[in-house]
Amino acid sequence: MDRNMKILVVDDFSTMRRIIKNLLKELGFTNLEEADDGQTALPLLRQGNFDFLITDWNMPGMSGIDLLRAVRADDSLATLPVLMVTAEAKREQIILAAQEGVNGYIVKPFNGATLKGKIEKIFERVES
Amino acid sequence: MSEESQEFQPLVDREKRLADARALVDAIENEDVGREAALIGELTAAYSGNIFDEVGRMTREVHDTLRSFAEDERLGAFTQEEMPDARDRLHYVITLTEQAATRTLSITEEATPIADQIVDRSQRLKDELAKVVASEADNPRLGSVVDSMARYLDSTTHRGEQLKAQLTEVMMAQEFQDLSGQLLMRVIDLLEQLEDKLVGLLQITAPVREANAPDRQAERAEDGVGPQLPNASDNVVKNQDDVDDLLESLGF
Repeated sequence: MDRNMKILVVDDFSTMRRIIKNLLKELGFTNLEEADDGQTALPLLRQGNFDFLITDWNMPGMSGIDLLRAVRADDSLATLPVLMVTAEAKREQIILAAQEGVNGYIVKPFNGATLKGKIEKIFERVES
Repeated sequence: MSEESQEFQPLVDREKRLADARALVDAIENEDVGREAALIGELTAAYSGNIFDEVGRMTREVHDTLRSFAEDERLGAFTQEEMPDARDRLHYVITLTEQAATRTLSITEEATPIADQIVDRSQRLKDELAKVVASEADNPRLGSVVDSMARYLDSTTHRGEQLKAQLTEVMMAQEFQDLSGQLLMRVIDLLEQLEDKLVGLLQITAPVREANAPDRQAERAEDGVGPQLPNASDNVVKNQDDVDDLLESLGF
């Protein structure tokens, strides 16, 4: 797994963006950018050569599930690994996210070890 | 109950009702179904006038209640001041918790590099001391001093690592701000709807409102329903293990 990969962190709460970014820094990732909802994230993704997307679900503007759909529907982004980190915890939601092509799903509250584990697992699959 | 039955006076006199009742028993005994139905009709008709009176009285009561409800000044204050106030307070709680979380995050972000430095420097110093000891092997006094310094530096490194881990925990604890903020936003939304309904009810004594006022959409999972409470239903995953099990069952 490339520690220099470019990661976009999308969450409407600045506290949560900061926590995720700090955790990623502790894991050795330094090439990090952020957006506060799907609408601001999508243009960044389209022009930014991102290697990985971490997104919340429930956001004003464009939600995380719609962002995931937009990513999968965009030829240049379709294969981008996407990890959802969200408080949305209904089974039907997790199933929906899986059907829409999410690569990993973390329910808040979570911890650094979980984030590390999921990222490693996603890139093991992507790279294999 | 007894009060109600007192008010519930049949329209037809006692003699006629008794006669009808006896004829009904007779009809049932003789299995005369047609006559039985007719007599039951007669007997209920004796009361139906009162039923209409009763419905009329209840309608007036509902009307009066609604009017006094609308005229209740507290209700006006409730919709105009107290509910918007409650909303503002909840917004303020969100602001306060956000400020607190941001402040804590800033401090942990400043403190973590300090802990990093302590760990790095104590390790480097220990390495340098080891080199000195190696080159001064014939000096036992220096050897024992360096030995105790190395032990001290080891424990400093260890404590620095502990400090870093604890700072990470402090940072993770600020996650509460996202969850509590989302929950409060939902309560605020609920208050707004309640306020809307109350205002609608208050206007009911005025000409009836448009019946097609937009109804609140039911919660849709797709739009996101926010953090779940600890006593949530079975439809909700309780922790990350549940998420992993569910995804595994889907072939992840």
